[in-house]
Amino acid sequence: MDQPVSTSAAPVQDGAADGAGQSSGMSPGTRYAARSIGSGVATLFFVVVFNFFLFRMLPGDPIGLYTRGRNVPPEQIAKLRAELDKPILEQFLTYVANPFSSTINSARFNRPVWELIFERVGATLLLVGTAILIASIVGTLIGIRAAWKRGETFDSVSSAVTLTLYAMPEFWLGMILLIMFGVGTAITPGVFPIGGIISPGVDPRSLEGILNVAWHMVLPVTTLAAVYVAEYALVMRASLIDEMGQDYLTVARAKGLKDKVVRRRHAVPNAILPTVTLIFMNLGFVISGAITIETVFSWPGLGLLTYDALRGPDIALLQATFLLFSIGVIVANIIADLLYAVLDPRVRV
Amino acid sequence: MRSTSWRSVAAVAAAASLLLLPASIGYADESPSPALISAEPTAFTVGITDDVDSLNPFTGIVSTAYEMYQLMYPSLTSPSAEDFSPVPDLAESWEESDDQSTWTYKIREGLKWSDGEPLTAKDAAYSFNRVINGNYEQTNYGGYVANVTKAEAPDDTTLVLTVKEPTPLMENLAVYILPEHIWKDIDGKAVRSYENEPTPGNPIVGAGPFVLTERQKGQFIRFEANPNYYKGKPSIDELTFRVYKNADAVAQALRKGEVDFADEMQANVFDAIQGEEGITTVNAEYYGFNEIGMNYGAALADGTPIGDGNPALEDVRVRQAINHAIDRQTLVDKVAKYGTPGSTIIPPIYSTLHLEPANPFTYDPAKAGALLDEAGYTLNSDGKRVGPDGEPLTLRLLGRQESQTSQQTVQFVAGWLEEIGITIDTKIVSEDTLIELNGEGRFDLFEWGWVVEPDPDYQLSTFTCAQRSSEEDGTIYAGLSDSHFCNEEYDALYAQQAVETDAAKRADIVKQMQQIVYDEAPYAVTFYYDLLQAYRSDRFANFVQQPTDRGPALFQFGTWSYESITPASAEDGDSTTASGSESGSDSGLNPALVAGLAAVAVALVAGVVLVTRRRASDEDTE
Repeated sequence: MDQPVSTSAAPVQDGAADGAGQSSGMSPGTRYAARSIGSGVATLFFVVVFNFFLFRMLPGDPIGLYTRGRNVPPEQIAKLRAELDKPILEQFLTYVANPFSSTINSARFNRPVWELIFERVGATLLLVGTAILIASIVGTLIGIRAAWKRGETFDSVSSAVTLTLYAMPEFWLGMILLIMFGVGTAITPGVFPIGGIISPGVDPRSLEGILNVAWHMVLPVTTLAAVYVAEYALVMRASLIDEMGQDYLTVARAKGLKDKVVRRRHAVPNAILPTVTLIFMNLGFVISGAITIETVFSWPGLGLLTYDALRGPDIALLQATFLLFSIGVIVANIIADLLYAVLDPRVRV
Repeated sequence: MRSTSWRSVAAVAAAASLLLLPASIGYADESPSPALISAEPTAFTVGITDDVDSLNPFTGIVSTAYEMYQLMYPSLTSPSAEDFSPVPDLAESWEESDDQSTWTYKIREGLKWSDGEPLTAKDAAYSFNRVINGNYEQTNYGGYVANVTKAEAPDDTTLVLTVKEPTPLMENLAVYILPEHIWKDIDGKAVRSYENEPTPGNPIVGAGPFVLTERQKGQFIRFEANPNYYKGKPSIDELTFRVYKNADAVAQALRKGEVDFADEMQANVFDAIQGEEGITTVNAEYYGFNEIGMNYGAALADGTPIGDGNPALEDVRVRQAINHAIDRQTLVDKVAKYGTPGSTIIPPIYSTLHLEPANPFTYDPAKAGALLDEAGYTLNSDGKRVGPDGEPLTLRLLGRQESQTSQQTVQFVAGWLEEIGITIDTKIVSEDTLIELNGEGRFDLFEWGWVVEPDPDYQLSTFTCAQRSSEEDGTIYAGLSDSHFCNEEYDALYAQQAVETDAAKRADIVKQMQQIVYDEAPYAVTFYYDLLQAYRSDRFANFVQQPTDRGPALFQFGTWSYESITPASAEDGDSTTASGSESGSDSGLNPALVAGLAAVAVALVAGVVLVTRRRASDEDTE
């Protein structure tokens, strides 16, 4: 699984030695890391404050909507409204404490938001994590091969397929796969479930349960992976083609190295940087990115929770999910920054 | 070395997936079809699109949650399957005292909760007192007990409720009776976040036809038949509600046989599924209506005018003109698809209460024009209505972002109103924004709807003067009235019906009230929409519709269908898989789509083949 990372990590050290060889001291690296983390924290602070005012600016009367069409006594409605109508500073403190507090309840579910998020986050991580893992391996490999055999049949077919997949809205692809392999058509068997993560009544801790979950994962993971594969393959192909004209490859070949070795140990490590960035950028969206896929496949993850919260609107829950999504993106960016430094010593300077 | 390790990873992965595949296929084949082989328990599965927000009956607000509560807990009475008239549930009989100050309910004898504890009038008294004296508990049930001062159980089979004023609501108290021995340990604070969810081996104690045994949030809710149910154990042994996140998925799941019942289907999906073998569709009359509401003259409950509504709408002739300008049949045909044109605020499904007005607002643009002329809004040379002040008559029309129906309706209505010369400024807003604008009176016309309970009190209350907005610390809050309608005669009749315990006399008053609202026209009721449902008739039979033969087959007031459903005959049951995967008659798919799918599939397969072939040849050259 981590094969691509290890293959790329080793040669980069070569590269460093070949290149400038000036990355000996630790302090520039540490300074670089501190800078990335520092700017991440600053961004997070900005996002926190911005989101607070964003939600305060929303028009609307949530209590009116909750109680419409229900036989709620007026005194009770007034009480519910009073709970929302607190001084702005108190609201801000509550808001900051929100996702970590066990006492602030979601309006829709009447339970602490943290609990709700915690219940759902696993399903989303499983879905998106698996898809990205598969996509990053398959996508990178396809990209490498397509670039190396540029202009040949594999390249033209794979480019056509990846471009098509890349252009396809993921929910649409999901629905197509659902009809083809969930419901079944004249030409395809409907063997996969229509939705959900596990069949009712199956114990998820048993072997049967694990297989059942894997079976439920096939379609949503395929859909999501197909889109990411396309993206990674296209980026990988483009950056490898850029590298292929470089003199150092000619030199490597002149040294008598095998074509495969030239590709694996010289060209790919240098070309893989943009793909790594992309993979980590996408990791940031792991938590939020699957809303449409979760809707199509009724996957009980965070995306659906956000969707439910939006319909409320359930402000406490929305704020917490927004905060979590922002943290996800920021943390992934920091990791991408740091990893970039490891992969490419030039960045550290 | 490296290259072999890459290849071996691929090989291991492929081998693993091959191992996994047959096991999972085998599994998937048996899981979705609750087989009807006699030894197996009969499992009935319902697909829902709105997950239950909470199984705690004091917390949940979505309609699916109430379906769960009534499966778990009894009430004193229940609206009948035939015509919604109150019939005995937990109470065998009931009577109002001669001085109209108390109601006495005779509770069935020898009942048991699902855990074997006795169910007595004390549980009923406890449940009512909990709401009467509660704080949080008031939110969902306060409206039913606002008039009840105390609940007492002098013995195990007698419940006495003391009331402030006589009220017909006492026959329709939708308050669930909870087991005291469980709920007494959950105090007023704990109840706020109490989930009321089962853990393995610990089902939720109830006394309805089914017992809640398992719940996975966002996935499913499972019940088992209650052997202690007072009407006898239901024929279906297991009842599961599976959550899907879009109506289309539920329809596909029904087709495939993953679920046996689909509720709230979209009209296009419903049409596509019609005529499929093994599936029966039900377009049920429903309790809901949609309307174009008008700003009758926004004001606080005390009469202080608020907002910026166009004063033209305060003229009854303008409101009637708008009513005449709307082609309700077209809205039914093009927007609702299944439904009937609307008239009054109590839908015809409640046949004893609904008034069909003798003077209907027919679609008549000429008459609408004449009414506008009469009101002083005449056509100018551009074909626009101009008021006495020389200003063109411009109205804002608000539609709801959450509803496709709403957006389509406002498009049609805007067109018709433009045709009679009114300038329309259409805007789509979220529902909670619309409530705020309604409350503050900052609107002219809007589109929304109501779902009406069997007891008309709540619906009628939304047109009383007292339900107009209220002001607190400078902030204006919406009441239930979104049109700001206020009429003295109507209010007097409302007070009268609220204390009239004779059903026939009350129906009479309710009809008079409908006539007033109809004539005064704060609403143009657009249509009464149908509820579209479908079920696997090859597997289950004996659904009960409420009311008889025209209403919903599930999601009713009461649990009538769940108690009556039986497995269809064994032969039909065996054919399940065949008809489930039968896709020759896939009327939902058009040929172009199928061709597109095939193309995509071929492309994908070709890609895979090429990858593997290239890899092989690549190795040769290396």
